[in-house]
Amino acid sequence: MAFLLRRVVFYLAAFVAAATINFFLPRLMPGDPIQKMFAGAGSDLSLENLNALKLTFGFIDAPIGEQYLAYLRSVFTGDLGRSVRFFPLPVTDLLGRALIWTVGLVGTATIIAFTIGTLLGVMAAWRRGTRFDTVISLASIFSSSVPAVVVSLITLFAFGYTLGWFPNGYAADPMLDPSWGWEYIASVLYHGTLPMLTMVIVLTGGFAVTMRNNMINLLGEDYIVMGRAKGLSDQGVMLWYAARNALLPTVSALAISLGAVLGGSLVTEVVFNYPGMGNTLYQAILARDYPVIQGALLIMTAAMLVANFVVDLSYVLLDPRLKRA
Amino acid sequence: MSDPVLSIRNLTIDYIGATTDFRAVRNVSFDIAKGEFFGLAGESGCGKSTIAFAISRLHRPPALIRSGSQILLNGRDVLALDDAALKELRWREVAMVFQSAMNSLNPVLTIEHQFYDVLKTHTGMSRPAARARAAELLALVDIPADRLSAYPHQLSGGMRQRVVIAICLALNPKLLIMDEPTTALDVVVQREILERIHKLRQELGFSVLFITHDLALMVQVSDRIGIMLEGELVEVNDAQAIYRNPQHDYTRKLWASIPRLTGARIAEGATP
Amino acid sequence: MKLLAQLLHNRKALVGVAILATVILVAIFAPLLTEYSPTQRVGRPHQPPSADHLLGTTRLGYDVFTRLLYGARISLAVGFGAGLLITVIGTVLGIIAGYKGGVVDEVITFLTNMVLVIPNLPLLLVLAAFIGQASPLVIAVILGFTSWAWGVRVTRSETLSIRQRDFVKSAEMLGEPGWRIMAFEIFPNLISIVGINFIGSVLFAVITEATLEFLGLGDPNTVSWGIMLYNAQNASALSVGAWWDILTPCVALAVLGLGLALINFAIDEIANPRLRTGGMLARWTGLIRRGEGKL
Ligand SMILES: Nc1ncnc2c1ncn2[C@@H]1O[C@H](COP(=O)(O)OP(=O)(O)OP(=O)(O)O)[C@@H](O)[C@H]1O
Ligand SMILES: [Mg+2]
Repeated sequence: MAFLLRRVVFYLAAFVAAATINFFLPRLMPGDPIQKMFAGAGSDLSLENLNALKLTFGFIDAPIGEQYLAYLRSVFTGDLGRSVRFFPLPVTDLLGRALIWTVGLVGTATIIAFTIGTLLGVMAAWRRGTRFDTVISLASIFSSSVPAVVVSLITLFAFGYTLGWFPNGYAADPMLDPSWGWEYIASVLYHGTLPMLTMVIVLTGGFAVTMRNNMINLLGEDYIVMGRAKGLSDQGVMLWYAARNALLPTVSALAISLGAVLGGSLVTEVVFNYPGMGNTLYQAILARDYPVIQGALLIMTAAMLVANFVVDLSYVLLDPRLKRA
Repeated sequence: MSDPVLSIRNLTIDYIGATTDFRAVRNVSFDIAKGEFFGLAGESGCGKSTIAFAISRLHRPPALIRSGSQILLNGRDVLALDDAALKELRWREVAMVFQSAMNSLNPVLTIEHQFYDVLKTHTGMSRPAARARAAELLALVDIPADRLSAYPHQLSGGMRQRVVIAICLALNPKLLIMDEPTTALDVVVQREILERIHKLRQELGFSVLFITHDLALMVQVSDRIGIMLEGELVEVNDAQAIYRNPQHDYTRKLWASIPRLTGARIAEGATP
Repeated sequence: MKLLAQLLHNRKALVGVAILATVILVAIFAPLLTEYSPTQRVGRPHQPPSADHLLGTTRLGYDVFTRLLYGARISLAVGFGAGLLITVIGTVLGIIAGYKGGVVDEVITFLTNMVLVIPNLPLLLVLAAFIGQASPLVIAVILGFTSWAWGVRVTRSETLSIRQRDFVKSAEMLGEPGWRIMAFEIFPNLISIVGINFIGSVLFAVITEATLEFLGLGDPNTVSWGIMLYNAQNASALSVGAWWDILTPCVALAVLGLGLALINFAIDEIANPRLRTGGMLARWTGLIRRGEGKL
């Protein structure tokens, strides 16, 4: 518990750090930050509305310290301002919708890739030096080194444009109304296939290499030899003795790679015009919609922190040495 | 000697390298009789563990047991067994305490589970039955049954060692291999464990292959002793003879390098 | 040096080095390999590959092959520049944190963990958004200063274990100053970690630069693989069927990435004997096949 508590405190600090970056960035840039941040709204913005926005972002007539506190206050009360492009849509509404798509895409892809990658890594390590190991290792090295932008463009070209098996964009058929009906869900799955495939290709190799190398490092350990000496089945030793222990360092490697996972999804969303956080951030950057840009950084950071916390939790569940410590 | 439990003939084991091989065990032959406590001594790196691993075929590449070697366990040719038969044989006939017994328990499974998996695999025992049997075995090594739900890191080094020994006894093996089981322990615990093994051996009747480079300790506990030097078995004899009347130069040198011990005996009938 | 010699005996490393060397040579000798200029219209728009234009032309009539050759220069320069910066920062901070311990270590570790949980690419996008179109140099500098955390982490933990070794202890006894110990006792023992960090960082920088440029945050007048992707995407190369326009930089990035990753995997194998299989396993298998023994 103490371990988890420490992590939570750390995550709060990290979130404040992201907010701090947001606060100082416009103020450090040359030119008038207020002008720069809200110019995109043009004439839509009445003086009254402008003042409300200025307040949200801490542009008040006060020393910088108070400005900073004012900004933190709005962040922690969940007020991220309004989009200047889609004024007066609140940033939280805009990003909230996008977040659902991203969490669905990234979450599913990570789970699939982690499962496949880990299993392949386990089998490659168990049969190290064989042809199976060589093939899996090479494929994994390739998968972990090829940029997400390349994979998504090639997948889009092959399965979207050339073969025409899957749609080239959007998260669902725009003609359908969102609902829990079968038709809509089928459309979501159909549209999500290529982005998902891309993410799985990009992520699986890294997990496989990590798991393989961790496991090979463990195979000489005495408890694994003892597992074999006990006459347990190969699967028993492989899964319960070797893989179960190799999973620990793999899970902490997963925590470190979460940032890369999010980065990969950002690019994939842009290429497939998928309405997630990454694409929303990208569109906001094109439109110089600074409140949305800043909000996206905060929400993505928050999402990262939550994901990290989930990884921490699973680590505690997996490692008995941490449970009561 | 009538029907030895273990009979090793011309055992030769290489570690294969990228260009040259390293011969770790060279043409070694010896027998262990039923109920016998056999000691294998020699300096570090002389090939003791390599022999121990070969007995239940635990080696992994790049180790290679050369053709022409023979290992008979209760008359069965271990080197001729297929995978399934080997799995049968392991632990049921030969159990082994590893060199670093402290690290030979799986850190993520409870003690109970580590009894259960071996009992389940070999006897198909149910979980509650396995638990009862495990408690019984732990009692043999003086560990209360409530430690069954503990994880290895929650036990002291000596307790872990005793747990491993208890697991070794789970299937009443004919041969117990102990590869320097006590090096990491202090002298008192070391002694306690060896005394216990000695008692259990009398009750259960298994043979022991005891490996160490501590010759003085070995003479106190063993019936017969083999001395190894760089992969070769240079002398095999009664513990008495090894102590009083060493034949080989190397054995004499070994004795010269150790201050003579005069501790109380551990095994009745064994040398001082 | 020993590391280099061993690398040359590793098949993965050889392939990786060959790929990297090819890209470097292509970048250096680009003017000799093509008659065109990368920034001039030399043909009609979107011509498919032909003898005149080996990889076709872009929508603006640039020669794709020429841009590919010259683009390698930017990718490599940003990759190696940013990679070097990332490695230097990561190694220095990692050694200091691991060797000094105490408050210094805690501060560095805290910062490192912080940087690791703030998502890197979105942060880079936000920075680039405020800076405006970023030149390759600016991208390299930003990458260098935001991506060192992983290096600190691995360097630190390796330093922690080296610090316990005898030669460090004896250097301390002799009263050598801390910086000398870090530079001449500890650093030489970290070579493989530093190597992995460097190659990994180069790979990361190449990918990220291309990604940022593809997303339109780069300077569109640069000739680089990322800008090639950006232009091709803007020209809807995929939907009009001009696959050569977009697949060329894709393949180039994938191949360079593969080369770097192979080198890294090989360094890992060499540094960690447990991962090595090498000739020994092949010989072993041969002996088993010939019935000379068993396990
Ligand atoms: N996997 C391996 N590859 C190559 N050589 C090995 C391997 N394992 C062991 N050896 C070598 O084989 C020889 C015998 O090793 P072994 O572990 O049997 O020694 P030992 O007598 O048990 O020593 P100790 O008392 O230190 O445990 C040693 O010289 C060792 O270097
Ligand atoms: Mg040994």
